[in-house]
Amino acid sequence: MTVKEKATPVHRKPIHFIGIILALVIVGAYLYLPIANQPELGASTVAQITESKRSNEIDMFTSGIQLIPLAGFGIFLLGVWNIAMPKASRAISLMMSATGLLVVVYFINFARDYIESEASYFDNMGIAFWIILVFGILTIVQFLIPRGLTEPKFRITQMYGNQESVIVFGLILLIFAVGMVNPRFLQERNISDILSGNAYIAVAALGMSMVIITGNIDISVGSLVGLLAVISGRIVVDMSASPDPFLQSIAVPVAWFAPLIVGGIFGALIGFLVAYLKIPSIVVTLGMLSIIKGILIIWTSGERVTGMPDDYFLSQVRPLGIPMPIVFMIVLTILVALWMRYSQTGRAFYALGGNSEAARLSGLSQKRLLMTVFILNGVFVGIASVMYSTQFNIIQATPPPALELSVITSSVVGGVSILGGTGTVIGSTLATLLLNFIRSAMIFINVSPFWLKAVQGLLILVTVLADLIRRRRQRV
Amino acid sequence: MTTIEKQKHDTQPHTFGNRLRNILLSQEGILLLITIVSVLFLATRSAEFLTPENLLKQGRFVTEIGLIAIPMTYIIITGGIDLSVGSILGLTAIVLGWTWQELGFPLPLAIVTGIIAGTIAGFVNGFFIVKVKVPPLIMTLATLALYRGLAEGISEAKSARGYPEWFFQLGQGEFLGIPTQLWLLIISVIIFGIILARTQLGRALYAIGNNETGARFSGLTVDRYLMFIYTFSGFMSGLAGYIFVSRVSTTRSDMGTGIELDVIAAVVVGGTSIFGGTGSIAGTMIGVVLIQLLKNGLSLTSVTSDAQIIVIGCVLIFAILVNNFIQSRRQIA
Repeated sequence: MTVKEKATPVHRKPIHFIGIILALVIVGAYLYLPIANQPELGASTVAQITESKRSNEIDMFTSGIQLIPLAGFGIFLLGVWNIAMPKASRAISLMMSATGLLVVVYFINFARDYIESEASYFDNMGIAFWIILVFGILTIVQFLIPRGLTEPKFRITQMYGNQESVIVFGLILLIFAVGMVNPRFLQERNISDILSGNAYIAVAALGMSMVIITGNIDISVGSLVGLLAVISGRIVVDMSASPDPFLQSIAVPVAWFAPLIVGGIFGALIGFLVAYLKIPSIVVTLGMLSIIKGILIIWTSGERVTGMPDDYFLSQVRPLGIPMPIVFMIVLTILVALWMRYSQTGRAFYALGGNSEAARLSGLSQKRLLMTVFILNGVFVGIASVMYSTQFNIIQATPPPALELSVITSSVVGGVSILGGTGTVIGSTLATLLLNFIRSAMIFINVSPFWLKAVQGLLILVTVLADLIRRRRQRV
Repeated sequence: MTTIEKQKHDTQPHTFGNRLRNILLSQEGILLLITIVSVLFLATRSAEFLTPENLLKQGRFVTEIGLIAIPMTYIIITGGIDLSVGSILGLTAIVLGWTWQELGFPLPLAIVTGIIAGTIAGFVNGFFIVKVKVPPLIMTLATLALYRGLAEGISEAKSARGYPEWFFQLGQGEFLGIPTQLWLLIISVIIFGIILARTQLGRALYAIGNNETGARFSGLTVDRYLMFIYTFSGFMSGLAGYIFVSRVSTTRSDMGTGIELDVIAAVVVGGTSIFGGTGSIAGTMIGVVLIQLLKNGLSLTSVTSDAQIIVIGCVLIFAILVNNFIQSRRQIA
């Protein structure tokens, strides 16, 4: 590489932030306009809605709710315009326009039903919000995290883009198709249940993706989530029962943070065995899987933890109407994505996974990096376990079944190469969503529950194959 | 193996003492030592442990893991992995029960169909790994879900029971005072141990594990070997599925869940490097036996089954540690 050919500077024009503003408009319109603030109407009968319409309690054409389709249309146009622009990533632009279009189509559906007083879509209003919130924000973050720059000449193959966009397309396609067959799938409650109920898997997958990017693996996450969840529950129950008012007052925060620390300690142990004693990570974590599971079962003797105080249930909190796990999932994904993209350590993880010998020769300390990545992974498992344990009023003493497989599958389907060195955490979060949307969609299109797992396995296989074929084509 | 070490081997006089030292300090030798020590220790704690009846009973339990561990050793030696073995076991069991009870196949035909289904499942793994170049871990992770799902779908959560008496001969019967299935395991271990150690196929697997590109360039039909070992893995898992059904006299779709971890643990404890290129059937079998005896011995000394898995996890890590330590010492010395 000559001096002249130095890396092209990253093109980040302010135009991209228009997308964020438009998304905020939609979110704002949803949150603060009267129609959207009455979800209880959505769950009520057609007669009630018609009545409230008659009494002019809600009027869709004066309440400013039109901002939603307008902003959606704006995002669509922006996306289309970006496709023609040479410097913007086309896959992302396409995702953006698809998201905008989805909002518009959704709103038209909603308006039509509203006028006909059918209102079957009425209670689905939240969908625009969820779609924008999750896909939209993750999509926009991709603008902030530019990958390889595209060539000036337009080529259709670039539409394949990266694994992340493949997954977003899959998600949008799935939501459209299943929504057509069974509109109840698009109910806000269902969408938010899917998102919040599985957000902890996405958070665990963040740590897992980092570990896999460095060329290692951790198959003990399932047991660790189970153990940390019980630790958290036990702490809060025991401390709130203590007579000391000080202990009582700090019970809940301690219970929230203890799993992070304990998870970090377990991570440090695994990291030590992998980095300093040079045992392959798959072997270490295979052993830790048994050890942690054994500790969990002996310690709890299979008893569930119940009777946690009310303010313990972090996952049931809904700031601004968004369930807390979703907030955690999105914020952490964005933070980790930015950190992996821009921080020195993040880049070093990629270097280590891509070519450990080259990383060593360029002065990176392999041991320290491995310790860091496993400790971080432990902390993320800790966060995931708190999200998991505060979800329901009971904490099971057994680890969530086959959780490690769900987590690894999410990372891998999200485009993190098992050989290390490539992939992003945005991909892994999107893949978690896709896998769980698939699982839920199966139920809504009446697949026999016995065949659920088979269809799921098949779809995982198809996703992986699609990714491989896409990569090979790009290479040619 | 480094050149220095090779030279050292060549210059070493082939005396009995040297040879003994080499055997004792080999991976298998150390492992055998660990096994003997733990067996002796457990024998002092429980009178029941070191009796022929108990050991033979354990042989019954260990057969399925042992049979699957043979192809797993092959696969791990080539640097791959097969996570779907437990699901293939379950699929075979379900196909066997379903074709016999629902489709009315005669039982021998149902058994063959089941094992063929397992073999095909293994072939599918091999096909995608070789032809489409899906990394083995990902491919078998997907089929882990897929095959288990097929088993669940076909069976619709119904279990098949009521097999005729002769069917249990393999899983519950005895031949010359030794459980029938143990004979099968012993014969397989001898045959496939020799194949791995002495034949072109076996040596090719090591070559692939050490350097796949190198193996390809030296004219080995790498694709064919890989295709074979994954298909073989499916076949052995199928066979293990048949034995499992015969042993527990019923079929359920969740049979063999998690067995892949037991098998991989046994293979890795047995000194096969997870990165490929080293390992032996003898080591794997010692690993299988060590884990099973530990489980059994601990449960006889009234350690709960949950504490056992802690011990086994520790043994797994400890065995690798000791091995790493001694092997690196040998290389330095």
